[in-house]
Amino acid sequence: MQEMAHDLALMWPEIVVLLTAVVTLVCEMLRCARAGFVSLLAGLMLASVLSVPLLGLETAVFDGTYRINALSVWAKLVLLPATLLAALLVRSELANSPREGTVYSLLCFSTFGALILAGSGDTMLLALGLLMSGLASFALVAWSRDSRATEAAMKFFIYASVCGAVMIFGLSYWYGVTGTTLLADLDGLQQAPYAAAFGLVGVLVGLGYKASLVPFHFWAPDAYEGAPVSIAAYLSVVPKIGALFALAQVVIDLPDDSGWQGMLALVAAVTMTVAYLAALVQENVVRMLAYSSVAQAGYFLLAIVSLATSTLALPALVVFAAAYSAMNLGAFAVVAQTGVSRKDLFGLGRRRVVAGLAMTLFLFSLTGIPPLAGFAAKFLLFAAAIEAGYGWLAIIGIVNSVLSLAVYLRIIAPMYRSCVVSDNLQGRAAASPAATIVWLTGLIATLFIGVMAQGILQQLRY
Amino acid sequence: MFPLVSLSLFIPLLGALVILGLRRAPDPAVHAVGIVAATLTLAGTLWMWLKGVRPDGFSQVEQLDWMPAIGASYRVGVDGISLPLVLLTAVLFLLTLIFSVRVRERPHAYVALMLLLETASIGVFTALDALLFYVFFEVSLVSMYFLIAGWGHEDRQRAALMFFLYTLLGSLPLLLAILALYLGAEVSTFDMRAWIEQPPLSGTAAMWALVAMLFTFAVKIPVFPFHTWLPAAHVQAPAAGSVVLAGVMLKFGTYGLIRFALQMTPEAMRQAAVVVLIFGVFSALYGAFVALAQTDLKRLVAYTSVNHMGYIIVGVAVAALASDPALRALALDGSVLQMVSHGLVTGALFFLVGSLQERTNTRDMDRLGGLLKPAPALGWFFILAAFASLGLPGLAHFPAEFQIFLAALGVAPAAVIVVLGIVVTAGLYLRAIGKVFMGELSSQWKQMPDLGMRETLVLTPLALLIVALGVAPAWVLQVIHSTTGRLSF
Repeated sequence: MQEMAHDLALMWPEIVVLLTAVVTLVCEMLRCARAGFVSLLAGLMLASVLSVPLLGLETAVFDGTYRINALSVWAKLVLLPATLLAALLVRSELANSPREGTVYSLLCFSTFGALILAGSGDTMLLALGLLMSGLASFALVAWSRDSRATEAAMKFFIYASVCGAVMIFGLSYWYGVTGTTLLADLDGLQQAPYAAAFGLVGVLVGLGYKASLVPFHFWAPDAYEGAPVSIAAYLSVVPKIGALFALAQVVIDLPDDSGWQGMLALVAAVTMTVAYLAALVQENVVRMLAYSSVAQAGYFLLAIVSLATSTLALPALVVFAAAYSAMNLGAFAVVAQTGVSRKDLFGLGRRRVVAGLAMTLFLFSLTGIPPLAGFAAKFLLFAAAIEAGYGWLAIIGIVNSVLSLAVYLRIIAPMYRSCVVSDNLQGRAAASPAATIVWLTGLIATLFIGVMAQGILQQLRY
Repeated sequence: MFPLVSLSLFIPLLGALVILGLRRAPDPAVHAVGIVAATLTLAGTLWMWLKGVRPDGFSQVEQLDWMPAIGASYRVGVDGISLPLVLLTAVLFLLTLIFSVRVRERPHAYVALMLLLETASIGVFTALDALLFYVFFEVSLVSMYFLIAGWGHEDRQRAALMFFLYTLLGSLPLLLAILALYLGAEVSTFDMRAWIEQPPLSGTAAMWALVAMLFTFAVKIPVFPFHTWLPAAHVQAPAAGSVVLAGVMLKFGTYGLIRFALQMTPEAMRQAAVVVLIFGVFSALYGAFVALAQTDLKRLVAYTSVNHMGYIIVGVAVAALASDPALRALALDGSVLQMVSHGLVTGALFFLVGSLQERTNTRDMDRLGGLLKPAPALGWFFILAAFASLGLPGLAHFPAEFQIFLAALGVAPAAVIVVLGIVVTAGLYLRAIGKVFMGELSSQWKQMPDLGMRETLVLTPLALLIVALGVAPAWVLQVIHSTTGRLSF
């Protein structure tokens, strides 16, 4: 009993998120979306604050099934504020629309699932987290109830069901060999290379769909396009990082000779290249950002591949997660204000100087141009990959950075061209303040994470 | 200690921020802020020059912790190789900003970008931390991209895109090389002084790092066959942009060649020196011959840059090959001096071509002629700069090229074939002068105004410096030699 209390005490942030989800649900039942929004903000802030004392812990609760380690604590510190920013965006986009309140509780449930994923120390929790964040996400995508949203949600749902099933099928091999569902006991796979590989493929399919790795990314552009922009922003950050951190939790326990590094490296290379090539021809900025977020998932894999052999990999993963959340949410927030077509951004840099500058910096940061956050993160990623002996992967990452610049300049260049200004920017319509707060916060983070990375590095005792 | 280097480095950035703050200020005020900031920077760098450099290692070093966990710090300082380039940068940016006071189109953004570019440029030359170096190196690309895309000529968008993609592709291998050096060093640090003191890599690893660096710098310098972005960027860039691009930014490549390739992977550089030498010789000759074929005056000057930068590569390669320290110092003295001379001479030429284009709206030499009559000052300045560019004794390029050739003769006599380049440039400049300034004056240009106050103000200091450097190069060489004379690798 005492042990139970001790374990629960370490899970306060998760408990608070769950309670917040319930409270927002009750608020929606009372038809009071504003109260739901306020309780969501309060709950997420409280949960973030409660996560801070957990920094530096390296333990697991409930018989080792749920981990309180650097990955899971930093996941909370990144994902909870990210959810908060996404909720602000939702408020600015969907305020006073029907079913606004449900969005808040779904956000909470989905984030709860992502946190479970990021902290899972057991294959069952992987499945649970995937399901939890998935179910909420489908409903979020289907929010607008028009045919495009329905189609997107349906696609998303079918993809998720199949991939989730494949993952559980693969995990059953691991269970069969090791006789336990604990990730910590995966050492036992050493004698059974084929079972290890089957299980790994399963995990890659299941988490790969959630993190939108190529070739399991096809749902992402459609889902992002069908959903409200704010929901797309949320989906591109929170569930994705949850799944990638879960993958990291899995691979640190896999035996080194099971070939997982090679497999992940291959997926990383393909993901970055295919996604940026596809992004190059998009006319819809949300679709472009969707493909860009697929490609960024490939960069995350650089750190995960190096996790076992490089001391820089863990800091790289955390810094990149923080940087990616800031710049991606920021970019989506600007798009939420201007409109989703590439043409809607024409002339942005001249009409709204600060918003244009912010968008430019977000996109440059996504490319990895110094001294922005994306550079600091990618720099650590490349260093980790080289230290781990994956120099070729770093080179592919670098070539893709050039490709990504071409993708992002297709947005940036017309923002400053003099001749055309989109209709949306002609008048002096007031931009919604909540979205402005989101991109300003993202901008500050993008400017300073690069300079402040020292804090994260030091905490991870590199 | 008074942070002189950091002040000179960040005054332009401060100026840029002030301008962004003054959104409603009238255009002349904006230009005035820019000129004041650049003047203060020049004063700072002059003061740095007066303080001088110590013969061993770096002087005026300023240091501040940045990311101690991975050994990255803010470290700046100068030695005999970087100090002349810092001074050159400050001079050229001040003149560029004076030349640009006529820019009416969005002057806020223009001046702010120029000042940002100045900080980045001085940063590249003063950074003593590899990570910091890389940051400045990339920031310079971004600001130049916007300058070309925003204020360039007809086909600017394409040229700017090509410039940005090409040089980003070029600079990323440097990041890999920096990471390799970092991971290879015994102590985890990005301190360039430590890497120079004790080169972290050896054998194959050093060779791979060198190949990555050579690729980066070859694009930047540019060396044949990586030069294709240069004519496009130059022709489309505004005159001031061309001056900065050729006068300052091309030097990032040759400076990096000495600072990184030669000093941090000396062994590998020695092994690869013959290949580098061949590239240098070929590039110098290629640049000269292609320039000969141009009818566009701006493209012509752009290609002579490829020629002049080729000599610098020859100088650096010769220094790597030389076993005699005196010859090595001679080659490096020549190379660094050549960077300064090229900055002054090509800067002047691009200013003049810009003025010419403002008046005639063309750069096509076949459509011009006899312009010495309506515009004698413009003509004579051009003739002086062109003579300097073709290496006439008594003008800036001569002492530099002479030293490079002398060292080459001592180390790799076959490389002296590169002297042919001088003959070709002499021919092409004489032809250009003949076509544009001599001959029959077309009635179209009879009313062409001569240089105004602003242009004279910009060109006179350049002309004086070109002559001063040609007649008495000792005042610069002394500083350069204090470092190059003691390099040990």
